[in-house]
Amino acid sequence: MKQVYLLFMNSYLRFWKDKVSVLLTFIVPLVLMTIFGSIFSGSGSGPQGIRLAVLNQSSSPVAKQIESSLDTMKNFRVIKSFKNDSGKVITFDTLSIQEYVRTGKASAALILPPDAYSDTSIGLYVKFYYDPKNDIEMQTIRGLIQQVVFSQFPSIIAQSGLRQAEKFLGIQSGTAFNRDMASIVHKYFKIDTNLILHPKLSDFSIAGSDSGKNKSNFFQNVVRIEDQQLVGKEVKNPWATRSVGGWAMTFLLFTLTASSSSLFEERKSGVLLRLLTSPVSRVHILWSKYLFNMSLGIIQLLFMFFAGWAMFQVDIFSNFFNLLLIIIAASTACTAFGMLLAAFSQTRQQAQGLGTLFILSMSAIGGAWFPTNFMPATIQFFSKLTVVYWSMDGFLEVLWRGVGLISILPHLGILFGMGAIINFISIRQFKKGHIFD
Amino acid sequence: MSASMINIQQISKKYATITALDAVTLEVHQQEFFGLLGPNGAGKTTLMNLLVGYHNPDSGTITIDGDNVTQDSLEIRKRIGFVPQSLALYDELTGQENLEVFGKMFDIPRKMLMEQIQEQLHAVELYDRRKDKTKTYSGGMKRRLNIIASLLHDPKVLLCDEPTVGVDPQSRNAIFEFLISLNKQGKTIIYTTHYMEEAERLCTRIGIIDHGKIIALGATDKLLEQLTYEETIAIIKNPSTEENKKIFEKYGALVEEDDHFELKPVKRFLLSEFFADIEKQGMQYSWIELHRPTLEALFLQLTGRRLRD
Repeated sequence: MKQVYLLFMNSYLRFWKDKVSVLLTFIVPLVLMTIFGSIFSGSGSGPQGIRLAVLNQSSSPVAKQIESSLDTMKNFRVIKSFKNDSGKVITFDTLSIQEYVRTGKASAALILPPDAYSDTSIGLYVKFYYDPKNDIEMQTIRGLIQQVVFSQFPSIIAQSGLRQAEKFLGIQSGTAFNRDMASIVHKYFKIDTNLILHPKLSDFSIAGSDSGKNKSNFFQNVVRIEDQQLVGKEVKNPWATRSVGGWAMTFLLFTLTASSSSLFEERKSGVLLRLLTSPVSRVHILWSKYLFNMSLGIIQLLFMFFAGWAMFQVDIFSNFFNLLLIIIAASTACTAFGMLLAAFSQTRQQAQGLGTLFILSMSAIGGAWFPTNFMPATIQFFSKLTVVYWSMDGFLEVLWRGVGLISILPHLGILFGMGAIINFISIRQFKKGHIFD
Repeated sequence: MSASMINIQQISKKYATITALDAVTLEVHQQEFFGLLGPNGAGKTTLMNLLVGYHNPDSGTITIDGDNVTQDSLEIRKRIGFVPQSLALYDELTGQENLEVFGKMFDIPRKMLMEQIQEQLHAVELYDRRKDKTKTYSGGMKRRLNIIASLLHDPKVLLCDEPTVGVDPQSRNAIFEFLISLNKQGKTIIYTTHYMEEAERLCTRIGIIDHGKIIALGATDKLLEQLTYEETIAIIKNPSTEENKKIFEKYGALVEEDDHFELKPVKRFLLSEFFADIEKQGMQYSWIELHRPTLEALFLQLTGRRLRD
């Protein structure tokens, strides 16, 4: 028994001395739990700052109420105007708002047309334009908009109907008429008469709009949402097209981190020393590693996209040149990240432990697994500092939106810029030379 | 005396607070087999790393074949072959592939390189295993491959940093013979070790290094002349020898080891005189051995420590 105890304690001693194991056991799960928790547990404030373009052409109070509700929601960043090429601020019209979504500046647009609602009609009519480049985000936007529309609507429609009846029939007759109408609706639509006469939002389920899966309920018959997908209609496999980039990026980072930390193996075996006693300099070694990792990254990404094409019909060929540019830029930046880890770590284990922590965190906050809009504002800020975010966005621009070179220049610039900055830091660290000691 | 091949002048090197080398001055001649002997941590590997330009010294200069050695002097490395202490090989590659990888770094024309590889593989009897991955090699085979990987560019100088660590006696002998033949072919060799037997067997001249300083330098026989005694006498312990050990002390300093006494004579005397004396006392002894003076003893005399402490 004593031996078991001694061996048991020995295991703990060795575990505690192995900082990488401690990191992977406690810190990595803690960081990921924090990120996931802030998104899904409700402890965060839900999706934030989703860019929604809004055009209200209606003068009705209902439309104004919907518009002002959207304005106050933290979930949305409501945009009602745009700057034209000469920098002049212009309010949206029906064409420019669609173009705004089409070019990726907003995830969706809501138009409240002139005939959205009137006292003489029963029903609300809105137009919804969207770009489902991120399916989860789009589902969320739909849900939120329906919530706003329906939360405003029940009392107004009921009051409006009652008011119309009373106006034409007088109060007594109107009340009797409303009761009779409620009975008729109950008879044909199976809706509780009390619910019709005293409506509350919570009494109704929220309906979808264009999916054809709508339940037959009262709202469905009176709220008409005309929606139109502006981007990605021709995409053969939307799910695969959206997700292939995220998976590719996560595995690319793992590959390049492992490959960069092979420097530690070469140091340990003495190969690095042997090479440095031949006509080879430290700069030669670092450049060869960098170029190898970068080319390996490009090959791996190409392989994954080809696999996406072969298995899931992801269309990689109609915009292949631009896809290749993003692949090169992403690989450049990711390689620099791998070299940075190698430069700052003391051992291969340390590099891989830190790599796991950063890769999973970057993938989570960079949008590889779920939309960045679901994260708190602070994390959204940091997500834009990650290689994953810009690579993912670049892949989506190319594969989903099919944009040209001009549109991906910012992505290319940022990714190459990140690569250059990270390389600069790595080289400074390598010059201090612990890996060559 | 042949011309100087390696000239080390007042070299110092510090790592944080540790002085690895302290104003070391040393000259190695052309075609010399020079041994650098010292315990672990004495500064041997640091000196080798400076000789190959892996690190720059904090002060002092090193010239090899007339040219200054610095971290940036890549050209001079073509004249140096370095056998590192560790097995600096790619385990996942075959023996031949390893040699090709390292040989190509020296810009050797392909045909010449392939001839060199074949020749060297034959020389260390690894030709038949050339297509096997090195991870399948025995320790001795890896050591031999480790050496010939440093010879493909036919360097003038060969620096061997403890090249026989962990090798069985048979392979060690093979390596010694190979290195001796290289020296006979004209290569200047510096060989570091903490095994005095290796240094005594291989090297014509030896430097003893301790705490970053050269504490003795010269031909082996000249170095041994510095000893205050010429040989030691080992007497195995038994009740009789232990009882009469005072007799031994008449002849010199007596060191008591686990199983024997080690007598270091302080003056010259005849062995017949020594044996007659102990016989006279009726001492019962079963085993007495005369030891030749060694570098180990010299190191002990110079530092008060054993080489492998």
